[in-house]
Amino acid sequence: MDALGPRFERFLAAVEPAREGRVVACEAITGGYSRISARARVRWRDGVEETFILRGDPPPGSGVFTSDRDAEAELLGALPAATSVSTPRVRWYDGSGEHLGSKAIVMDCAPAVSLQDEMARAQDIGPLTDLFIDTFAAVHATPLDRLPARMPHPPDWLSYLDGVLAGYDRIAGEHPGSAPVLGYVTWWARTHKPPPVPLGLVHGDCNPTNVLVGPSGPPLVIDWEFARIGDPREDLGYYTQSPVQPNVYWADPERFLDRYRAATGLTQEQVNPQTVDYFLIIGMAALLEQLLTAAAAIGAAERPGILAPYLINAISHQHDMFLAICDRLS
Amino acid sequence: MITRPTTDALIVDCCRELTDAILPGLTDETLRLRLVMTETVLRNAAVRAAHEIAWMREETAALVAYAAAVAARHPSEPLRAAMTTVEASAAASLHLADVVDRYEKAGQAFEKALTAAQGAGSADLIAQARELLRDRVEIEKRVMATYTIVGR
Repeated sequence: MDALGPRFERFLAAVEPAREGRVVACEAITGGYSRISARARVRWRDGVEETFILRGDPPPGSGVFTSDRDAEAELLGALPAATSVSTPRVRWYDGSGEHLGSKAIVMDCAPAVSLQDEMARAQDIGPLTDLFIDTFAAVHATPLDRLPARMPHPPDWLSYLDGVLAGYDRIAGEHPGSAPVLGYVTWWARTHKPPPVPLGLVHGDCNPTNVLVGPSGPPLVIDWEFARIGDPREDLGYYTQSPVQPNVYWADPERFLDRYRAATGLTQEQVNPQTVDYFLIIGMAALLEQLLTAAAAIGAAERPGILAPYLINAISHQHDMFLAICDRLS
Repeated sequence: MITRPTTDALIVDCCRELTDAILPGLTDETLRLRLVMTETVLRNAAVRAAHEIAWMREETAALVAYAAAVAARHPSEPLRAAMTTVEASAAASLHLADVVDRYEKAGQAFEKALTAAQGAGSADLIAQARELLRDRVEIEKRVMATYTIVGR
């Protein structure tokens, strides 16, 4: 048990003083690129045991990807009443970091495995692909008026898209190493706008590792830190660049998009391989800016950690993908 | 100075030490992951150390030539100012900081030139810009070497 275990035990004493919870196991969950996650097993005074997931911010100034834990906690609180999609039950939130060392959400640990792992084991990935698509189609159908007021609500689709493209102009101005590529890509994106669709809830890290499936019950969608209101096709575009295999979009793009259109009612003109490509560029804007910001911080007194130089290659990868999309769709 | 082994050879040797001697002795999964990432960064740095000054100077010349070609057909004040800034930078210096500075300024002039070409609807100049960007990304891919995503 590392230092987080005793901290969590003191936190439980503060939020559930009568139950006298003892942390009997606490282990870090490796593999994430943004939050610090741990799994902790707790034995209460009455002998009942429960397992929790702790999801907190990395120490200030470290890491590459940043997000607002207050906003994520609030969204997780709002989603059960807003959508048919199931999410992990939030049990407590250390909103000050006073107890757990940084702002941290404590959730029930579901007896489930990632859909990605299930896909890797499956002989026939068709049903699991459909589950993945239907789950995210349901995310995208979430009524926007039920989402937290603090979440930015763009007035309309065109304003939203123009805002993202203006953001790319700003990023190019701040990061001269990327400016030539971003200048070209942004001009191209402004001159090749696809047909609009209704704005929706975008998960922001759409891939099957963020869907948990268990022996019973609906799938759980996790990791909402990059969620926003935007164009739902951003999630599809984002998933196309996931290197984790199997990637069920590339297994059969037409089948994937047929299913998504059927689930959402969107048309072939709105959802096709070209529009998905386009929205990879749009959907990556925030993450690309964070990659560039972290790269610019390398060498500063407060270094962002090894992930920042490691992910410089991801910046080059984005440049390559974006230009290839411009070529394919021109 | 001691010329051999060259900087890239020294870095690659460190990579071998990390991979062959240190990694097998690590049992902590998080530390193993960080070491693999570190080795990737070093391997990329070795490629850069061997070529980056030459690559940036070659591309700087191409970017400046493009900006001049656009300026001749579609003059604009932002482009003229950006080109003046490039001309004022240290063209002869081979010190890395100077080469990077001039390369970034050439990139900004290129961007202003591209904006002018796009504004004028000059398809041939826009296509030329795309070719320059293709070359730039090819260099970036050479630096990436054997990069694969780990830890996700």
